[in-house]
Amino acid sequence: MHHEFRWTLSLAIARSLRLSTAHSPPEVSRMSLEEPEPSTHGDVGVTEDGLDYAALEALIGDSVIGRESHVNADGFVVRPDDVQAVLGTLKSEAGFDFCSCVTAQEYQDRYESIYHLKKYDDPTQEVSIVVPSPRDDPHNQTATPVHQTAAWHEREAYDLVGIEYDEHPDLRRILLPETWQGHPLSRDYNQDKPQIVTLREHANPLQEDARSASDPDTMFVNIGPHHPATHGVLHVKTTLDGEQIADIEPDIGYLHRCEEQMCQQSTYRHQIMPYPDRWDYVSAGILNEWAYARAAEDLADIEVPEYAQVIRTMSAELCRIAAHALAMGTFALDVFGDFTAVFQYAFRDREVVQNILEDLTGQRLMFNYMRLGGVAWDLPEPREEFFEKVRDFLDELPHKLEEYHDLVTGNEIFQMRCVDTGVLSPEKAKEYGCTGPVARGSGVDYDLRRDDPYGYYDELDWSVITEDGCDNFSRVLVRLREIEESARIIEQCTDLLEEWPEDDREIQANVPRTLRPDPDKEIYRAVEGAKGELGIYIRSDGTDKPARFKIRSPCFSNLHSLAEMSQGEYVPDMIASLGSLDIVLGEVDR
Amino acid sequence: MQSQTPLPDFIASLFDMIPGVSGDSQLVFIVSALIAGTIVGSLMLTQTALVIWAKRKITAAFTDRIAINRVGPAGLLIIPADALRLLSKELIVPEGVDRPAWDLAPLVLASSALLGFAVIPMGSLLGIDFQVADPETGLAYVFATASIASIGLVMAGYASNNKYSFLGGLRAVAQNLAYEIPLILTGMSVVLFAGTLQTSEIVAAQSETLFSLGAVAIPSWYAFVNPFAFVLFLVANLAEVGRNPFDIPEAPTEIVAGYQTEYSSVYFVLMYLGEFIHIFLGGAIIATIFLGGPAGPVLPGLVWFLIKIWGVFLFTQWARSAVPRVRIDQLIEIGWKGMLVLSFANLLLTAVIVGVIV
Amino acid sequence: MIGILKSMATTMKHALDGETFTVEYPDVAPEVSPRFRGVHKFSQERCIWCRQCENVCPNNTIQIVTDDQRNGEQYNLHIGQCIYCRLCEEVCPVDAILLTQNFEFTGDTKDEFAYDKEQLKNVPWYKDIDPLESREPDRGAWIGEGDGEIDYQ
Repeated sequence: MHHEFRWTLSLAIARSLRLSTAHSPPEVSRMSLEEPEPSTHGDVGVTEDGLDYAALEALIGDSVIGRESHVNADGFVVRPDDVQAVLGTLKSEAGFDFCSCVTAQEYQDRYESIYHLKKYDDPTQEVSIVVPSPRDDPHNQTATPVHQTAAWHEREAYDLVGIEYDEHPDLRRILLPETWQGHPLSRDYNQDKPQIVTLREHANPLQEDARSASDPDTMFVNIGPHHPATHGVLHVKTTLDGEQIADIEPDIGYLHRCEEQMCQQSTYRHQIMPYPDRWDYVSAGILNEWAYARAAEDLADIEVPEYAQVIRTMSAELCRIAAHALAMGTFALDVFGDFTAVFQYAFRDREVVQNILEDLTGQRLMFNYMRLGGVAWDLPEPREEFFEKVRDFLDELPHKLEEYHDLVTGNEIFQMRCVDTGVLSPEKAKEYGCTGPVARGSGVDYDLRRDDPYGYYDELDWSVITEDGCDNFSRVLVRLREIEESARIIEQCTDLLEEWPEDDREIQANVPRTLRPDPDKEIYRAVEGAKGELGIYIRSDGTDKPARFKIRSPCFSNLHSLAEMSQGEYVPDMIASLGSLDIVLGEVDR
Repeated sequence: MQSQTPLPDFIASLFDMIPGVSGDSQLVFIVSALIAGTIVGSLMLTQTALVIWAKRKITAAFTDRIAINRVGPAGLLIIPADALRLLSKELIVPEGVDRPAWDLAPLVLASSALLGFAVIPMGSLLGIDFQVADPETGLAYVFATASIASIGLVMAGYASNNKYSFLGGLRAVAQNLAYEIPLILTGMSVVLFAGTLQTSEIVAAQSETLFSLGAVAIPSWYAFVNPFAFVLFLVANLAEVGRNPFDIPEAPTEIVAGYQTEYSSVYFVLMYLGEFIHIFLGGAIIATIFLGGPAGPVLPGLVWFLIKIWGVFLFTQWARSAVPRVRIDQLIEIGWKGMLVLSFANLLLTAVIVGVIV
Repeated sequence: MIGILKSMATTMKHALDGETFTVEYPDVAPEVSPRFRGVHKFSQERCIWCRQCENVCPNNTIQIVTDDQRNGEQYNLHIGQCIYCRLCEEVCPVDAILLTQNFEFTGDTKDEFAYDKEQLKNVPWYKDIDPLESREPDRGAWIGEGDGEIDYQ
């Protein structure tokens, strides 16, 4: 492990001013099933055997007008004008500091917003706050003052479903163009109505924005949607003061492909599974598939055979390595400035993973490998050859990682560029609902693989990586070190698979050809995707297709924090922060 | 060593052979100087054309790729193919550009770098000395012409009516100001050693033997005499020609392409040429004042000279492959707080050494 | 400074070792794994026109036209619209539709990618890989073909 020591050393020098003890041997929490530390907030309702919802109901008292039972958690129905009070109380008294997702939907008789609350300390403690509002005039109070992340989620709900959130600081459309008529996920939406999206062809782009009226020293610049560093079609509206950023606003939606609606029109059993590959399409496919698989399996009570779980775990971690390699490569691209060596080396290594995944799943990106109740295929024959390929890759990996540390993290100019830029404090990270490497780079010890175990993770020996730097550098470091942890997981899985008795290799549970979950079951389940918490909300209506399918995209929430990170920074640092967030626009816009 | 004829004189002597033309007339002098300039200029333009191919091959080697290999032997025909492609593209003139300035900028860029080669001693081939002129102020002239490029960058940035170009232009000025002073100061330390600004004299001063390693005589190239100044100059030169880690006036991931965002077709070719001639000029200066100019064993001087400037080019590509770009404020800080101080220290130290020893 | 030098040493090492990872496609046909999912191959002789593939297809890529006796008339598949999920192959009880390893197809218009059953039948195997052999070895036996050659032509 001497390479680890080396970069630890150079890092310590780079940061010695700020963090005196930051990089003594990596401080990672061990994988365990211990009870989490009591939170600093109140912990009303926490008992030995799960949440005591009655205590929570007593806490928020009069605001509750009903109870619902979702598969993942109980829900409290609250009045639309009590949202802030309820969420605030739950946050300060009961420790629900993570607003994971806001799902909006329209029923025959009402609109409904569901706030899926969790705790960063223990995400298995969940509660749903259900806010109904009348069909003729859907209004509810916004949750933004309590959870900053709700701002974007509510904008999306407004955009797609049409619920208006009172007191919202900035209630505009977020995915669709401003001129769009109607709300596509509402019941009376007319799909055939022609939409006019203005191009403003004849406006002189310089006329109004050359200098803002209020502050003539600033300059407005559109970074994107066509720009070399926005990782896809992201449009960042930037106001510059000199080269520093005075104001910034990401404008998303250019890659909106109606993924939620497509899933609502597909059958549970087969047709939804190919699509998760296309949310985060840069090699994180199996991780995404698992999100859907986990939600749907819990919804329909499907048990997955243990052997399939091991294969799932292994292939998912292979995907994570590929995704992190890409994230690192593109981040280096942003900082180094050209398609330089690091980028190419990262792609070379990702290529190896993709070859392995191709052997296993039959595709390099759009895997469609999981099935409800298992996986599509057993390991390819001859198995020994496959194991050898995986082991060869794992054996090479430490050497390659060392090379990355030489090239990237050990490079002084790289440190100059990345240490202490794009700072996101842990408090802010939680407020913005950041998850994944972004949160862990800010020292938030949160990883669903450990905290809300699924698959085979809790049987294996691995660690959750956190870094306390809160800056661009930490986020890169977290990814690089997570590759090592993923390699550990894969190694153990390979050992298990190799020794698995031949007559017990069940890859799929017996699942009916047509799946019709009981009507009006609701579930919100998340897995640790490559970018963070990838959650799926499904409501069933007794048919073979979901009535509401909502995707909680980690990139969406992470991107929201860009403004916080880059306020007052230089343009190059904003670009670096954007790279360190590792967004995939396919997942942001869905 | 056979006696060398300077290139213009050689051409004038050719004119002499034509009956009725006197080699001494003013007209012949001017015409032969022009022809000599054209020859040297074409030589450098040929090098930049070669860059189209070489740059890809070099970058590919650093990044484990194969690179061009289908168009002609080893992909060499990519040079005419690319030239044709670039030249046949439509010249897009954006609305609202500041016309004369916008048109002139590429010309200024390309020509400023070419001008510098007039006084560079490129060594001899077949008894002809490839140097157009050898004024006493040679080095000052080179730095002066090379700096004209900054004006071209500002013109391009300002006239393009594009915010990215504008930012790129501003960055270019800030960067060139910050790095030109250390560059010239470091160059001056060499002048202190050589005691002259004349390029041929500087080269001649480096021909003595510094010390002998067995049979190998190490010449007193200033890179060996004062390696510190050499490294300083190398780094300042990277910034001066705008290469990684100092390519921030272009900075593709930040400001798209900086000052050259709006240029296409022929103008882009000129920009592109100007940039690479500039790199070669940087290499030529380094070769002249630090690497003994065209000196070298066996091969003719001109070949050695080309090897040296290609060596410097290789170095810029190498740096590009591995060194991240610094941020604009860090760049300025390194320039004013680091390089400037170091180059002054170097100058003083050299002055003291030269004063004490000589 | 040491870090920068180390970075430069690393890239120089790569430059000098002469190894490349890019491929010379199409001069050298790439290796694809036996499970790779490429363009479909369809066998009218095997098809029982049960329409399961049409039903399972997530984005209506397959179109089947039958007459009133449920005899198959047309089998159209838009290989440009297909997302190569392999669900059609998975549900087919008689292996009438298969995804070959062939990933190369070109066309001037989108319409050229709408293959009918004749075109689907003539899709060549890629490097003579028969996916049936590598994917599920016992499947041939299951559909009653025994160990014999499976004739798709």
